[in-house]
Formats: sequence, C-alpha cells, structure tokens
Amino acid sequence: MADLKLDQIRKSYGAVDVLHGVDLDVKDGEFVVFVGPSGCGKSTLLRIIAGLEDITGGDLMIDGDIVNTKSPRDRGIAMVFQSYALYPHMSVYKNMAFGLKLAKTNKAELDERVRNAAKILQLDALLDRRPAELSGGQRQRVAIGRAIVRQPKVFLFDEPLSNLDAALRVQTRIEIAKLHQKLKSTIIYVTHDQIEAMTLADKIVVLNAGNVEQVGSPMELYHHPKTRFVAGFIGSPAMNFTRVTITAVEPGRVTVQTPGGKSAVLPFEVTTDHIGTEVELGIRPEHMGLDRAGELGVDGEVEVVEKLGDSVYLYVRLANGDRVTLRAPGHCRIKIGEAVSARADAAAAHLFDRNGQAFAKLDCPEEYSAME
Amino acid sequence: MAHSTRPMTDWRKAKLPVFAFLAPATIIYTVFMIYPLLDSIRLSFYTSVSGGDLTFVGLDNYRTILGDPGWSATFWNAFWNNMKFFAVHMLVQNPIGIALAAVLSLPQLKLRNTYRTLIFMPTMLSVVVVGFIWQLILSPVWGVGPEILDIFGLKSLFGPWLGKEGSALITLALISVWQWVGIPMMLIYAALLAIPEDLVDAAVVDGASHFEVFLHIKLPLVLPTIAMVSILTFVSNFNAFDLIYSVKGALAGPNFSTDIMGTLFYRTFFGYQLQLGSPTLGATVASLMFIIILVGVLFYLFVVQRRLSRYQL
Amino acid sequence: MYKNIRKDDASRAVIVHAVLLSYTLLALYPVFLIVINAFKTRKGIFSDPMGLPGPKTFSLEGFTKVLAKSDFEVYFFNSISVTVITIGIVLLLAAMAAWAISEYEFPGNTVLALYLAIGIMVPIRLGSVSILGLIVDLGLVNTLTALVLVYVAQGLPLAIFILTEFMHQIPKDLKEAARCDGVGEFTIFFAIILPLIRPAVATVAVFTMIPIWNDLWFPLILAPGDGKQTITLGVQQFIGQYVTDWNAVLASLTLAIIPILILYLIFSRQLIRGLTSGAVK
Repeated sequence: MADLKLDQIRKSYGAVDVLHGVDLDVKDGEFVVFVGPSGCGKSTLLRIIAGLEDITGGDLMIDGDIVNTKSPRDRGIAMVFQSYALYPHMSVYKNMAFGLKLAKTNKAELDERVRNAAKILQLDALLDRRPAELSGGQRQRVAIGRAIVRQPKVFLFDEPLSNLDAALRVQTRIEIAKLHQKLKSTIIYVTHDQIEAMTLADKIVVLNAGNVEQVGSPMELYHHPKTRFVAGFIGSPAMNFTRVTITAVEPGRVTVQTPGGKSAVLPFEVTTDHIGTEVELGIRPEHMGLDRAGELGVDGEVEVVEKLGDSVYLYVRLANGDRVTLRAPGHCRIKIGEAVSARADAAAAHLFDRNGQAFAKLDCPEEYSAME
Repeated sequence: MAHSTRPMTDWRKAKLPVFAFLAPATIIYTVFMIYPLLDSIRLSFYTSVSGGDLTFVGLDNYRTILGDPGWSATFWNAFWNNMKFFAVHMLVQNPIGIALAAVLSLPQLKLRNTYRTLIFMPTMLSVVVVGFIWQLILSPVWGVGPEILDIFGLKSLFGPWLGKEGSALITLALISVWQWVGIPMMLIYAALLAIPEDLVDAAVVDGASHFEVFLHIKLPLVLPTIAMVSILTFVSNFNAFDLIYSVKGALAGPNFSTDIMGTLFYRTFFGYQLQLGSPTLGATVASLMFIIILVGVLFYLFVVQRRLSRYQL
Repeated sequence: MYKNIRKDDASRAVIVHAVLLSYTLLALYPVFLIVINAFKTRKGIFSDPMGLPGPKTFSLEGFTKVLAKSDFEVYFFNSISVTVITIGIVLLLAAMAAWAISEYEFPGNTVLALYLAIGIMVPIRLGSVSILGLIVDLGLVNTLTALVLVYVAQGLPLAIFILTEFMHQIPKDLKEAARCDGVGEFTIFFAIILPLIRPAVATVAVFTMIPIWNDLWFPLILAPGDGKQTITLGVQQFIGQYVTDWNAVLASLTLAIIPILILYLIFSRQLIRGLTSGAVK
C-alpha cells in the first residue's frame, strides 16, 4: 500500500504532446479512476505509472521515492490489462505464479499466495486450465489474480471490463469494488465509461486532450463540474446546453436572456465585465420536468421518446432549433409531435464562460449539491 | 491449416464454373508433379534393358543400392553427409535466425527495416552465385580469406577448407547457412511480431527482463514456427543439389566427401566418368529420398505438431 | 530530459546495433568484395583484393570478355521470360482453384485441397526421371516451355494454399450482394475477387519467383542447350569453362548479382511484407 504523486508529468512522442503536465495526489488506499474520451491520454498516463512508457518531463513518486527511471518490477505495481494479457501457454496457476517465480520467491510462499488469491477470486477449480479454456469472466479474474499475488503497492487497471458483456460487466464491477474494500489497496483504474467511474471511484480524474479537467469525488463532479467538458462528460444522458446572453449582474445573481427571449435570474457570482457576452447554460435532463415549477423554462415539440421503464427520456426540439433532453416519470404518456413545456430550478443551472470554465454557484439547495 | 470457415456455396448452383476454375491447375499439377512422382516410384521397380524396354524386377534396384557393397557405401555416405549438412543448418542457421529475429523485434529499435532488408539480401542470390562467391573468397590462390582473418588476428587458422576432405562438407553447409539464414529470421520475426504487445508488457510488469520475456513468453509462443522452419529446412536440405554441384561438380569431391542425396541422384541418373546413367536406378534413389523426406514430414505432422499446440494470441 | 532515460537502455541499444551491424557486414561484405574486384585489372585483383578499384587498377576487361564469349543477354532474357510467364500462370490458375475450393461446397472439396497441398512438402525434383521422359515425349527438350510447365506445377501448391487462406477472409456479403444483383460466377471472380486478392499476390509472387530464378536443377536436365540456358545455368557453365580467368569469373558473377540486387532493393518492401505477412504458418 502506498501513496502516489504525479508532479507535472509530461509525455510526448516526437513532436506530438500527449500529456501536458499532469499533477495528481493519490492517497494510500484510495480508488482513483481516470476517465475521459479515447485519445485523452488516460491509458498513456497509466502506462507511465506502470513504467511501460518513459516520462518526458516531470516526476513520478511512489511512497515518496522518485521512480521515473525505475523499471516496472522495482516500482511495486501490478497491472490488469484490457485484453487480460494472460500467457496462453501457461496454466492459470503458472500465470499467477509467473511474477513470483521471476522474483525467486520460495516455493511454499509462492504456492500459498497463488492459492490464496485463487480462493478470493473463486479460481480454485480452474488452476490447471489454460486461458483458452476459460470464459471471458474467468480470464478477467485470472488477470486480477495475477495482480493480487504480487501484493503490489499500487494496482493498475486498464479498462478491465471493456471486453465483457453488459451483465458480466456490472457483476465484475461490484466484485472489484468488494475487492478494494477487502484489500484496502491503492487502485488506479482507467475507463472511458463514466458509470464505471462514478460507481467505483473515491476520486475521479477527468482527462481531456492530455490535460486534467477536474479531480474530485463522483458527486463533486456531478454537482460542481468545473468545466463545460466535465459537465457534458459526467452524467447520462448528457447535460443540455444552450447559449444565453448576460444582461445584468448583481452580487451573487446574474440575469440572462434565453434564446426564447425570456429573462431568468440565476444564482451565480459573475463579474460585471461579462455583461453583454454570450455564455453557456447547462441543465441536466433529470433536473428538468414537465410538471415542475422553476425559474427556467423551454417550449418545444417532442421528436423522440425513449421508454426506460422507470422513466422516459423526451428529446425535444425547441423553436430556435436547439435540442433538449429531459427526463419524465415512467408513467408519462406524451407522444411524438406533442408540444411540451419543461421547467427547471435556477439552482439546477450551470453556467460556463466562453472558455468553458464554470462560474461559481451560490445558495445551492441540497438537491443540487449533495456530497458524500 | 485451419479451415475455420467452410465453403459456402453449393456447387450444384454453379457446376460448370467450379469445374472450369479447378481443372487447369489440377491438370498441370497432376501431369507435371504427381504423375512424375508416382511414375518415378513405379520406375524404381523396373530396369531398362538395351533398347529402352522396361522389365519388372521387383525390389532388385533397392537391393542393389542398399545391398551391393559399392552402391551401399556410396548411398550411406551420401545419406550421412546429408544428415551432417542438415545438422549444421539446425545447429547454426536456426539459432542465428532466432537470435536475429529476437533482436530485430526489440521495441524501439531504430533502422529495423534497413537491417532486415540487408541481412535478407544473400537469400535472394542464386545458390550457384553464392557457391562461386565463397569459392573465390576461400580460395588460397586469391588470398582474401587469410587477409580478412588477419584483421581479427586469426590468419594462422586459415586453410583450404573447401578442398580438404575433413572440412569441405561443413564449409559448404556453412555457406548454405550464410545464404539461407534470412528465411528462419523472417518467419520467426513475423511470428514474434504477432505476439500481442500486452503480453510482453504484462511480463515486464511481472518483473521480467528483456531476456526473460524472450525465454519465458516469446520463445514458447514461436516454438510452432521454429518447428515449421525446421521441417522446411529438412526438406530443402535433403533436396539440395545446386550448391554442391556448382562448387564441387557432380562428383562431390574431394573423394565424395561432400556427396549428398541430390548429387547422388544426379550421378545415378545421368552417369559420370565411366559409369553409365540409369533412369531406373535414378528413380530408385529418388524414391529413397522421397521415403526419407516422407519420414521427416510425417514425424513433424504426427509427433512434433501434435505436441506443440498453437496458441490463440 | 535525458535524466528520464534509463541508463541500461542506452548501453543495450549500443550492443544491439553492434550485433546487427556485424551480421549485416557478414551478409554483405562477400558480395561487395566480388563486385568491386570485377572492376579491377587482374593485377589489381591479386595485389589489393580488398581495396576499391582505383585509377591504376580499374578495368572492365572482365566484362568485355564475358560479353564477347557468352550470351549473357540471352540468359537474362530466358530467365526473365520463364519467371514472368510462370508467375503469371501460377497466379491466375492458383487464384481460380483457390476460389473454387474456398467458395464452393462440392464432393471431395477437402480431399482435393489436401491433394493439392502435397506438393508443398514433397519436392518436385524427386520426379525428375519421369519429368524428363515426359518432356522428351512431348518434344519439348531444350525449350523454355518445358521449364515453364514444370515451374508452374512446382509453384501451384503453395500458391493455392496461400490464396485459399486469403480468400476465406473475403467477406461473404460482397459475393452475395453480387449474386443478388444477378452477376455471373465468372464475372464475380474476375471483377470482384481478383482485385481483392491483390495484397496476397505479392506474397505468392515472391514464393514462386525465388526458387525459379535461382534454380539450377531443371535448366540443367531439361534445357541445358545453346541459347536456352537461364542465367543461373549460364553462369555455372561459363565459370566452369573459364574457371582460371579471374576477371571473367568475377565479372560474370557481378552480372548475375547486380540485376537481382537492384530488383531486390526496389521490391524489398513488398517482398518482406509478403514473407512476414504470416501467410505461411
């Protein structure tokens, strides 16, 4: 178990920069998830921590030691690969024992550690099988087992669930969460799936184009996205955005004009130099409703209805051509083509300046700011 | 040879095209390859009397070659020489090929393609040309050989290797290795490239050094390719002729010390010096070569290949 | 940023390049030696074999002799004709057969595929006695046609095998779409399949070409006569005759090496891609 510190980590391949100075502190025992769209640099960052990629600039510290030039084996890490990367010519037992064998661990201890890991992961009966004889879920567990036996300071997971089918993915996700509780180990987990990130993480790191957009707990990211990117990335379906113009500013309050021509007062701290500029207003679909009261409102025509059972998503086209998604209760009977009018609380709004940075929100009711 | 996907269209829907597509290749192949092979085996049971008429003699030709003191000495000499020739390839060519492939497949190697292209170059040259190149270089008359050895301070080691009974065969085998090492290198290199990078990364994270990755992960995974390269080497070695013939002639001197199955076949068929050529005895030698190659191939198919499973990567 | 480069990586790179460089030298130097000495006087060849041809030693006498005393241009023409024609026929016939085997279900499909694969492992040379008889009967002794026929038979098995494997990978939808449009089987083959197998063609061409261009055996027994020698046989006969004339020997070897070298450097990319494509497993 160990803490981890990334200090201005940069990575470039020739002239192409893929990471532009990443800072991060990971505490002992923390479950940290790197999330972002493909190509954002999250896997590269993980591979840098593993020692599989050289660092172009900056320092990486594990347990207080700079490990920039240390080889993977001297870093005390173990990694679970997306493809599982099980050695096809070795049995499950040998796959798990390989690292220990290279480290010349004595036989009795090696055997005990392998069998122990196998027990935790319910692989006892499969130890003599070859990877080819295992199901996807079993291979996944062997890959995790191979990491566990090494008793690493830090576990690294590279999109470990992306090759599993949907049902197994949920199940394995829960297994991983349980495992973390049991082992109390430091885990760094890469995924592009924001639900995995939300459900597993103590701390989420949202990466975009080689930069850290925001670091925080799942609820912090959900309720207080610092950038438009994070706001749009976290949450499903994605947040609705529309352009509004700032018409007046008072301490703790800002008046905006919506595309429909209506004015609304929102609880944000905005400086006066923003008066007259266009900014982006965001509201999550689940915070909009047909039978709600609220300061913000839109009118439009329903284009698509998605029924999910407990709720219904309505895809609404507004008069100005913008499209808005909103969530209605499952019993809602609205049909395609119907005109609807949806409302939301001003407190549910998010406001982003032209550079995508969030304005500070004040006076938030519990519903829109619940934190753990 | 996994035919994972089976043919899909019922032939009856397209009878004529199927026949038309298959016939030309099958006919040429049958007439110029399969028929001659079978006919050679048939001829090995006959002898030609003067005038060219054939008489059935059963296994007499085989008795002659394996039983007659003169013939049998020649045959076994060629056979064992051929085994030595093959052994040198297995012990020198394949390890060098594997080593070069391993080095070439190292990550982040610069000039990889240039090295690969240049090292493979001798393989493209004709065996005859290669034979003569080395004959000249090793010729004591010219003196390039000793001069090159002198660079390494080994001048005193030089000898007329190609001319001496004790060293001629090994020298020729090494020349052949020099030429053909590109083939195992390429095939094994391709097999190494097919190993997923994740697997290597996993081993590195598990604490393996580059050499350990090669020994424990890469080598076991390319064993089937190495086995295949070995059987290809076996077949081509027992079928070799060009190099010995161009450097040493059909007599495979000195004193038959470089005689292998291919040169024996040629001499038996066409004759040499005072000995008359005999198509039927030639066919017998060819049939014996066929048996040797068949034994090798069957051993590979039923013993080696069965033990080495090819892993799905 | 060099503080982040592991020290052992740097020293390993040096060793790796030293190894590769020495082997490259071993592979190329003998050829280089022959080529440079072909451009020297006889005196130059013996007094300074390892030096480059200089003003004192430069001479083309070897080449003049070779061109005067032999028909190198004819040998080249023969080799090129035989090789090119054979590759063309092998590609077409093998593609047709591979298509039939991979596409149609007919009685004996698997057996035929195995039958055609025998030739991959069994060398055609073993049938030489009967091949010679056959060629004599057909009246084709000392013709390039005889060589082409034998080489086609020799090249077909591997070509069919590689192309069959390749054709299995062509998506079914393509052919079925064409059939739904009412396209005939021959048109499907020539208009849709042939263009699609282009990547495999390079591989097949390489595997067909190398053994043919370099073969000594069949030219020796089937077409050893005047004017029909291939370059390999031509060089062999010429050197056998002028073995003591170093200028001529070196020049003739150089004449045999240079064209192949140029072709190789031009096509090495395709050739190596063919070899490493994993088509032969």
